[in-house]
Amino acid sequence: MTGIISALVEAWQELRINKTRILLALLGVALSVAALTSVVGLGNLAREGFKAASERNGGRSATLGIGVYGPTQPDPQKLEDAYRGIIDRYGIAHYTHVTQAQQGFQFPRGVQQVQLQVVDPGYGVIHRLEVSQGSWFAADDEKRLAPALVVSEAFYDAAGRPNLVTNPTVKLAGGRATTAVMIGVVPDLYPEMPPSAYMLTGAAERAGAAGIGGAGPGQFKFWVQDGQAETLKAAVTSDLQRQFPGMQAQVDRMDYASQGDPFATVELAVGGIAGLVLLLGAVGMLNISMVTVRYRVREIGIRRSFGATSRRIFLGVMMESVVATAVAGIVGVMLSVAVVKNPWIQSKIAPGLTEYPAFPVEAAMLGLGSAVLVGALAGAIPALVAVRIKVIDAIRF
Amino acid sequence: MEELVSLKGVTRTVLLPDDQELHILRGVDLAVHSGDHTAVIGRSGCGKSTLLNLLGLLDLPTSGELTFQGTPVRQLHSNARAKLRGEAVGFVFQQFNLLPGRTALDNVVTPLLYARGPAFWRRREIAMDILDRVGLARRAQTLPNMLSGGEQQRVAIARALVRRPRLILADEPTGALDVDTGQSVMALLDTVATESGAALITITHDVNVAALARACYRLESGVLTPAAIPAGVTA
Ligand SMILES: Nc1ncnc2c1ncn2[C@@H]1O[C@H](COP(=O)(O)OP(=O)(O)OP(=O)(O)O)[C@@H](O)[C@H]1O
Ligand SMILES: [Mg+2]
Repeated sequence: MTGIISALVEAWQELRINKTRILLALLGVALSVAALTSVVGLGNLAREGFKAASERNGGRSATLGIGVYGPTQPDPQKLEDAYRGIIDRYGIAHYTHVTQAQQGFQFPRGVQQVQLQVVDPGYGVIHRLEVSQGSWFAADDEKRLAPALVVSEAFYDAAGRPNLVTNPTVKLAGGRATTAVMIGVVPDLYPEMPPSAYMLTGAAERAGAAGIGGAGPGQFKFWVQDGQAETLKAAVTSDLQRQFPGMQAQVDRMDYASQGDPFATVELAVGGIAGLVLLLGAVGMLNISMVTVRYRVREIGIRRSFGATSRRIFLGVMMESVVATAVAGIVGVMLSVAVVKNPWIQSKIAPGLTEYPAFPVEAAMLGLGSAVLVGALAGAIPALVAVRIKVIDAIRF
Repeated sequence: MEELVSLKGVTRTVLLPDDQELHILRGVDLAVHSGDHTAVIGRSGCGKSTLLNLLGLLDLPTSGELTFQGTPVRQLHSNARAKLRGEAVGFVFQQFNLLPGRTALDNVVTPLLYARGPAFWRRREIAMDILDRVGLARRAQTLPNMLSGGEQQRVAIARALVRRPRLILADEPTGALDVDTGQSVMALLDTVATESGAALITITHDVNVAALARACYRLESGVLTPAAIPAGVTA
């Protein structure tokens, strides 16, 4: 114990004396640790952002989508009954219809076409939608006289950002001039996203929102446990196939988890480059430690004459390099935290997130760990050289 | 009196680059007891430093028997020798051999870095005390290159004594100093060695230095023979 502590004390002294020289070698180590750590940290952020975005688009893991195709459109009522049957038979808790429609809305500054998604309350769970204001649809919202609307931030802006507590309304343009009530706001997926809104299926039918019915049956999705996805997929497919002979029934995973990790390759490439830079830093460090050891032959002889064992000399020389790179590693990790937690960078890398993830501990550990490893590698060779120094030759004059 | 080191028929032979053997020591007998103050004199190149390296466990004899505090040195692993050396031996060199770039205090602390327990944890305090003893407490934070030769050697003496060794080995401690400074440094070394009850073996060319010893040996053609203590020629 004392041995390690005193080796640390000695290493620290040594580093203080050779400051500038070592500082330069360490700059490389610190920067590559920063790069390595940032790659992992930013990758994590981007992945979270991508996950949020793809959960908004495709659904969370595991979301299954049903499609029935044939020479003619399947009968909508029969299809609807088939969906109900599946929900009952397999005890599915979260499901939704999804129909896309263009609908004009009367805003203070005139009529604007809006992407309207006609969905069920289950959509919010399946897509992990988080409202920034108000609330998502509840089951009884379908019974409201004026259809409820959950709107995007851009829509909310266009409507003049009224207080949701006052049950603000907005008019649907066209045919029946229905009035809808805004009950919730969801954040935009990316900057400058065009306004969009969600409406419940039943309400949209009654309001006669544009495109409903005319645009075909739309999509039907449901959410199940990860482990059940494959068995349910097979069961539901054959179930539907039986009910719709002569047609093609298809059940597919819609979520991001089923598509593999899109960042793996980029991360691997950048991480590999950072690793190479780190290796270069190690060579620089090695170079300096070698020079330092050569000109310290006498000093090592003196230390040995005062009782330093060869083990201690090895540890001392090695520790110098480890302490140095560890300090560089800490600096690098701090640099990387500054980069990854920078609000501007966060908003660019993961625009879809309302809440950013904490700096990943494994990224910090990786950075620090590889710095220490580099130090140990760069220190081991000069340490071996130092151990081989013969004391009597070293102190002869 | 307790026997510290004993040499019986010790030889040291080195192989020269042209494959010839050089017999530096041919059969040295010597017993060192605690409290001894011994001077070793002899021509340059006769093997005095070689002998001192053996006494200080830095080197092993080619043949013969060397025991340190009763233990045959040959049986000790090099790490054990290093530990024993750190505990029991203090070196003072002709060229001072202070660690460059480190303050006087840090230099004196160095041997304590290889100690355990309170000697390690209280190292600065202990080093400061001994620096005070050699009269350099005020220069504790000074770098060696800012100290005079005499001051540097006093720092080196403090460093040699900081672990309270039983045996102090001084290889021409006054060789790089002028006569007066050498005299006062040697007097200091003699006093602190006496105070701590350690044995002091000094290699020297200087009759004034040899005159302070209580026993004197001459090394010649690889053997050690008792010699008369020279009368000091005070300047
Ligand atoms: N490892 C070695 N290899 C070859 N020659 C050596 C070795 N060690 C000592 N010698 C030779 O042995 C002789 C004695 O060396 P040593 O250093 O002991 O002499 P010394 O009495 O201390 O001399 P000085 O008074 O000049 O310091 C010298 O000629 C030296 O060159
Ligand atoms: Mg010599």
